[in-house]
Amino acid sequence: MTVSNPNRRFRFGVIMPRAASGAEARERAVRAEALGYSTLYVPDHFVDHPLGPIPTVAAVAAWTTTLNVGTLVLGNDYRHPVVLAKEAATVDLLSEGRFEFGIGAGWMTVDYEKAGLPLDRPGVRIDRLRESVQVLRGLWGEGPFTLHGEHYTVTELDGDPMPHRPGGPKLVIGGGGPKVLTFAAQQADIVGINANLKGGSANDPSTAPSMNPVSTDDKLRWVREAAGDRYADIEIQALVGFLMVTDDARAIAEGMAGVFQATPDEVLDSPVGLVGTVDEIVESLERRRERWDMTYHVIPVEQMDAFAPVVDRLAGR
Amino acid sequence: MTHPRTFRFGVQVNTAASAAEWRAKARRIEDLGYSTLFMPDHFDNTPLAPMVAIAFAAEATTTLRVGHLVLGNDYKHPAIVAKEAATIDLLSDGRLELGLGAGWMQVDYDQLGLPYDSAGTRIERLEEAVAVVKGCFADGPFDFAGAHYRITGYDAQPAPVQQPHPPLVIGGGGPKILRLAGRHADIVGINPNLRAGAITADAATDTLAEVTRRKLGWIREGAGDRFDDLELQIRYFVAAITDDARGLAEVLAPGFGVAPDEALQSAVACIGTVDEVCDLLVQRREEWGVSYCVFGEDDVEAFAPVVARLAGT
Repeated sequence: MTVSNPNRRFRFGVIMPRAASGAEARERAVRAEALGYSTLYVPDHFVDHPLGPIPTVAAVAAWTTTLNVGTLVLGNDYRHPVVLAKEAATVDLLSEGRFEFGIGAGWMTVDYEKAGLPLDRPGVRIDRLRESVQVLRGLWGEGPFTLHGEHYTVTELDGDPMPHRPGGPKLVIGGGGPKVLTFAAQQADIVGINANLKGGSANDPSTAPSMNPVSTDDKLRWVREAAGDRYADIEIQALVGFLMVTDDARAIAEGMAGVFQATPDEVLDSPVGLVGTVDEIVESLERRRERWDMTYHVIPVEQMDAFAPVVDRLAGR
Repeated sequence: MTHPRTFRFGVQVNTAASAAEWRAKARRIEDLGYSTLFMPDHFDNTPLAPMVAIAFAAEATTTLRVGHLVLGNDYKHPAIVAKEAATIDLLSDGRLELGLGAGWMQVDYDQLGLPYDSAGTRIERLEEAVAVVKGCFADGPFDFAGAHYRITGYDAQPAPVQQPHPPLVIGGGGPKILRLAGRHADIVGINPNLRAGAITADAATDTLAEVTRRKLGWIREGAGDRFDDLELQIRYFVAAITDDARGLAEVLAPGFGVAPDEALQSAVACIGTVDEVCDLLVQRREEWGVSYCVFGEDDVEAFAPVVARLAGT
């Protein structure tokens, strides 16, 4: 059975932060396409994420024909939005509309420290992201664009090239707090339901519990309220950091319960985890769609083969 | 025996209307024996973003080198530039030439709302950026505390395939930038001085032979012992294969504000029959040491016979 709203059909992405060589990266991209994955994403950090997302998505687009490419997500503070707008439009042009442009407010403290960038408080970073999206949209549209904002000043700039997709690539905005998710719900085509990373690190004790099912209910409530009429046009995405195809999900969940500060059942339904047999994972994904409209799941590229049977069962349905 | 300064040729391309056209251009440039596809980095009148387009071009070809001519340093943080450059070098299996410049086109700065600092400040910032980029390319964590950039315990990844790092291309026309290029670059571009912030008659008269010899002096001052290891490059902005060089010079000279003979001697001019152009390039290699010749994309086909005759010799 296929659901009528295409934004509520399952699709799957892989995320590739590193590759040992160009040949390995290319093989993975071609394989992801062949296995039925919709998108290859590249993250954007200075530490532990070697590949630079912008050139990587360009290369992946050159290697493939139908696979979408995306950034998950670019840290807004690392590049000027005028630079980003041009790079994104170029990726969209050269990939013939296959780009999904993910952008976030920036959160990883260590990135800022290593590169000597000022780490403003979250409110300021989110304001800046808001302005940045205005700049991006302005430059992806027709005619010269001017913005005298608080953070960026753009004067009579006619964005060039025009993206392949009129109005620009699909916008992916993710977050875990109410401000970012409200903004994402108003602006994005794809809303990522993430941990709340106010702690500045994925290992901060506040991070894991913010991905419990009950916290996720809150997040979806913020998104639905803020999106209003456009909610049906939005895809809901999750980045699955912990994926294990196993016959003994229960034991794994019990082992993880402490970290998540949750019951084993809650662990099994956390949007950042997928643990179980193929059947159990399929059922869990069906429940996530039912409860949260969550249909777009991104998994680590290393596990694309193990997860392929799930993609086979659910993609496009 | 090959000359110690072996000829090679590049093309500076700035746009394509579609992926198919971009692929076709890159492959044609490769097929004709050019070494490198370069892209400029501007916001006005230069449609494609270089970091994206060269990454794509590298993957659409197999041996063609790709590079920037050149990135404006002020548009991106050097730690990002290094990461993106190393990524292209990794994915293309070592085919990147990283071009860095201080930034000069004032209209770019105005449109982006970036402060257009004095040339001295921009060049000082570029020198720091070069240190940051090289620190990123090297193994292990590094610190850098400059007036413009501050890096703390950063072990940048990925490692580039070319070791110790992809060749750095730095070009310029003034003494400060050319000394800097002599100190740090692997490939030095001898360019017009663009101190006016735009291309003006001042830039044109700055390309005459006598000025070029002065520029070589500045590069030498910066390079010291490493001068012989540098590859010297000229971007030929005025290039034509014609059997009436003199006639063309008469048309072009007023734009340079010089006499026709002087226009033909401009360091950025390369005009004549295939034989004359080959002789001119050989002569310049003898006099100036320039062996890396870059043309605009409109000249790719016309200069293919020159490339066929000289590349690799």
